[in-house]
Amino acid sequence: MIGSVGAPLVTGISPKEGPPGTRITVRGENLGIDARDLIGLKICGVDCLLSAEWKSSSKIIARTGPGKGKGDVIITTRSGGKGSSSIGFRGYFLQIGPLQESAVWIDESQTVPANLAHGRPSSPMSPKEDEDPLGLSDEGDGVKFTEEELLEIFPEASGNLSLENFSPVWYLLENHCSASFDDLKAGLGYLQRKASQRSQGPIAIVKSNLSTILECLDSLAAMYEKFTKDDLRIDCMNSYAVLLMQAKSCADGLFQEVLGRKDKADSTRNALSVLQKFRFLFYMPYNIERNIQRGDFNIVINDYEKVKSLFAETEVGVFKKVYEEVENKIRTFCNMLHKKLLDPKIGLDEQKKLIRYLISLEYEGDPAWECLDNQLQNIISALNVCKDYHIAVGKCIFFYTCFHTSETLNNIIYIEGWKFKTPQKVLFIEDLTDIMMEKFPDFWKLGQAYFSGDFSIKESSGYKPDSSKHAKLRVSYIFTMIKELVGLYTAFVRAAILPESLEDVGDIQLEKLGVWPSRRQDISGAWLPHCVRHIRTSTSTLQDLDVHGEALNLVQELAFDLRTHCMFTLLKQAIIDVKLLHNKETWAIEYGDEYGGSTQLPVLFENIVNETISHLHEVVVLNKPGEPEIFSQRPIQKEATILCTQLLQAFALCMEQLSFSPPLHKIDSAHSISIHSKILFVQDKRLVIMLSNCAHTMEKTVPRIIENLNKHGYVEMNKALKVTQQTYMELDQKLFQAYIEQKTDPIIGTMEPNMYKSGFNWKTWKHITGVRSYLKEVIISIIEVHAEVFSISPAFITRVMMKVMEAVCEEISRIIQCVTAFGTIGAIQAKLELKALESIVVLYETKKIRGCFKEAYDCLPALSGEGKQMVDKLLSEFQSDMKIQLMCFQSDDNSSVA
Amino acid sequence: MSKAKTQQPAVIHKVIMVGSGGVGKSALTLQFMYDEFVEDYEPTKADSYRKKVILDGEEVQIDILDTAGQEDYAAIRDNYFRCGEGFLCVFSITEQESFQATADFREQILRVKNDENIPFLLVGNKMDLDAKRQVSSEEASRRAAEWKVNYVETSAKTRANVDKVFFDLQREIRSRKMEASRQNNGKQRKNKDRSKKKCVIL
Repeated sequence: MIGSVGAPLVTGISPKEGPPGTRITVRGENLGIDARDLIGLKICGVDCLLSAEWKSSSKIIARTGPGKGKGDVIITTRSGGKGSSSIGFRGYFLQIGPLQESAVWIDESQTVPANLAHGRPSSPMSPKEDEDPLGLSDEGDGVKFTEEELLEIFPEASGNLSLENFSPVWYLLENHCSASFDDLKAGLGYLQRKASQRSQGPIAIVKSNLSTILECLDSLAAMYEKFTKDDLRIDCMNSYAVLLMQAKSCADGLFQEVLGRKDKADSTRNALSVLQKFRFLFYMPYNIERNIQRGDFNIVINDYEKVKSLFAETEVGVFKKVYEEVENKIRTFCNMLHKKLLDPKIGLDEQKKLIRYLISLEYEGDPAWECLDNQLQNIISALNVCKDYHIAVGKCIFFYTCFHTSETLNNIIYIEGWKFKTPQKVLFIEDLTDIMMEKFPDFWKLGQAYFSGDFSIKESSGYKPDSSKHAKLRVSYIFTMIKELVGLYTAFVRAAILPESLEDVGDIQLEKLGVWPSRRQDISGAWLPHCVRHIRTSTSTLQDLDVHGEALNLVQELAFDLRTHCMFTLLKQAIIDVKLLHNKETWAIEYGDEYGGSTQLPVLFENIVNETISHLHEVVVLNKPGEPEIFSQRPIQKEATILCTQLLQAFALCMEQLSFSPPLHKIDSAHSISIHSKILFVQDKRLVIMLSNCAHTMEKTVPRIIENLNKHGYVEMNKALKVTQQTYMELDQKLFQAYIEQKTDPIIGTMEPNMYKSGFNWKTWKHITGVRSYLKEVIISIIEVHAEVFSISPAFITRVMMKVMEAVCEEISRIIQCVTAFGTIGAIQAKLELKALESIVVLYETKKIRGCFKEAYDCLPALSGEGKQMVDKLLSEFQSDMKIQLMCFQSDDNSSVA
Repeated sequence: MSKAKTQQPAVIHKVIMVGSGGVGKSALTLQFMYDEFVEDYEPTKADSYRKKVILDGEEVQIDILDTAGQEDYAAIRDNYFRCGEGFLCVFSITEQESFQATADFREQILRVKNDENIPFLLVGNKMDLDAKRQVSSEEASRRAAEWKVNYVETSAKTRANVDKVFFDLQREIRSRKMEASRQNNGKQRKNKDRSKKKCVIL
């Protein structure tokens, strides 16, 4: 059990005595190697281990237990076993005596002689042992006076401290008869010290135990009542009553003091709060200043309200003076707020806050109204400034343009691209809309807040009687303001983009709205959708803001007008573009799969139209909520249809122009000349190409475009389709006619002369040798035409051939019919040639051709059998001779070989 | 009581530390007892220490009663003084007042003990704080000479002269006791009995 170290030994305690619960520091040797090593601590035989706090092997702190008397401090450790103590601790209980204050009800039978209540002899008390009022210890030796002796000397007195007939001399004789005078003097000093300590006691004890004392008083009173009721021993009761009354008055006295103190405390508190109040006032000017600097406007206002309610009607001069100063500060504060309110840079929330501040400070006038008005002016001036700036810049450009008249505006814009990439008007619209969108919502919200009564002025300021009327007036005025503002905005836009829509406005008014340098349309169509987008944004913003009435209508009208304008402009632009397409013709033929060759042109045309449509898509088709359908208005719808039709027809004009009066050779690039110059100027070929293009456009491009337009919501497109197709048909006819004329005229024209070459006469002709060369020439010519058409557009062959054949047949029929008489051989010859031609024509035979042949045959005299044989023979001869040439007039399966 | 329980040497020298509050009585005591210097100040009420020491080759026990310097406890001092056999009257050389108070302590001791030759040592503590000295060594020595006692300067912090004061005092006590036993004076005897009795009772 005992380890390497020695047994614990306690050599010091601090303090060495005390009541239970004293905190004691124990020092010594081998008090354990750690906290867990300590397993036992007994002070005066009481285990105190629980409270022990191991500090080191030489120091432990603990609390004493209820041990009484002197005893050892014994420590037990695991390592050292049970230890010993060289010193002892003295535990004692604090005895509450009659002269010591206590907060608890104590059993007085221990300390107070109980003979008063019951008349029984009291057991001898020994307060002396515990109580040594002089602080002198009993000198145990020397003479001692007995109680009897003392009674003899002082018959009426007693040595008991707690009795009324206490005699100090008795006490001294009894207890300190052998003490020296110095001792007694020291004792007196001690007693005085004690007394002075005690004199503070009761107050403290009453203070901290008011309820207990009151209880005491109550129970005393109850006791008295009970005793009186019982009325057992009247005489005794009276003395009790007297005592009780005394006790009561004494308690009352104590209590009075407490109450008095409480009153005093209350009055002090009141005085303090009054001071606080006044201090608040005196600090006010400074606080206002400081809080303004800090931006705590709310605090300033609250403080001011408080001061106002407290001191507004004060009669005290000093307060008046300070209050005036406060008022002055508040006035300057108001002015500052007011100035701030009119600052255009602050936001809506800030404005609202400032207005509320001003209202709560009862600033004269109507700050909200002023703010609104000010803001209106601000926006208007901003709009004006914007307008003026852009017009000025626009003028610059305009003059610059005028100066360089030789150049086109587009070039200038291109050259000056660094600055004027975007047209000035478009920039203007952008900026104007930006200003509007930035400022208007705040203005409107402020206005709304105003007429919804957020900023209603306090009733006290005398506005009340006419407030409703006044408010109505204001509200209507606000609407007027808004209308005016929006009107100005729209007017500016109109002046810039749609000047024609302002024609009914007076000149002076027009001047104000801004005179743009050129009235002519200098915003290219491409920019218009951009403008429309801006205007529409503003419309939708206004709508989102819940602005109704005329203001919204104005903007909506503007948007609608602009859309229409945009659509018309773009369509017109497209028409112009299409008309200018002939410049782009390269005559390079591309072969399609069905209709044969066509040039790039129809594709370009389609592209222009589709581009325009897609450009317009956003403007025309997409309707923002609340916007009217663009085609809902009849005139617009009509015009749109007309423009669409014109657009579609424009290409026909273009092609016609190309066919009949081709532009002078303007293609600047060298390589294109070398490739295309050969075919460029041959009209027949151009005609064929255009014919092909026309067909292509009619069959494919136009329906496609119409479909697209329909898809985008353009109305009455069927009508347009019809009209357009009509146009193209006409063009087709025209081209066809021209081409046929172009081709047939030389063939037919040479037929008759060639037929009668070298004095040929049907009557006198004798030397029949076969089909004559004139017919062969005709056939060759026809083949040429066939080849030409086939090379460009095989689809046209039938149509062209028919016409050509018809013409040839007609001519031959006419010539035959004109012959007055046929010789026998001549008839055979005629028959042969007719037959030969018939065999060629068979593929393209029409009614007309058949009729021609019939008429021609009718004119011929009937042939003999011999003659018929000869015709057959010569015909087969011709067919075999011209086999290759004739192949192109045979049916499809081998025609392609030619 | 304690003697009976613990087999300690029979000879016990009872030393009492007196002096104003904060002069370093407890610090001297703890330095002597446990070789430790306590920096933080905590007013003492009444602490008791006892340890075995070898005094000039003889094993004895020294019992130290460390008293309260504060005036609040002045009243209970008498009781303590009665059982003291020797006194270390401590003051701080950095505090003139504490030096002045030594006269009161001396007077009280002589009154209680009623013995001019009671073993007594005047101790000027905090000699390490020489810079703050208020009481010159001459002044203190003069007073000691007046009282016919020795004056020693100590430092509880550096342990300078700590052992010296306790052992010097013990030697004085021992010589007093030897003288007393030789004389076998009844008064002395009585006095001793009385004081012993009081200690036990209290």
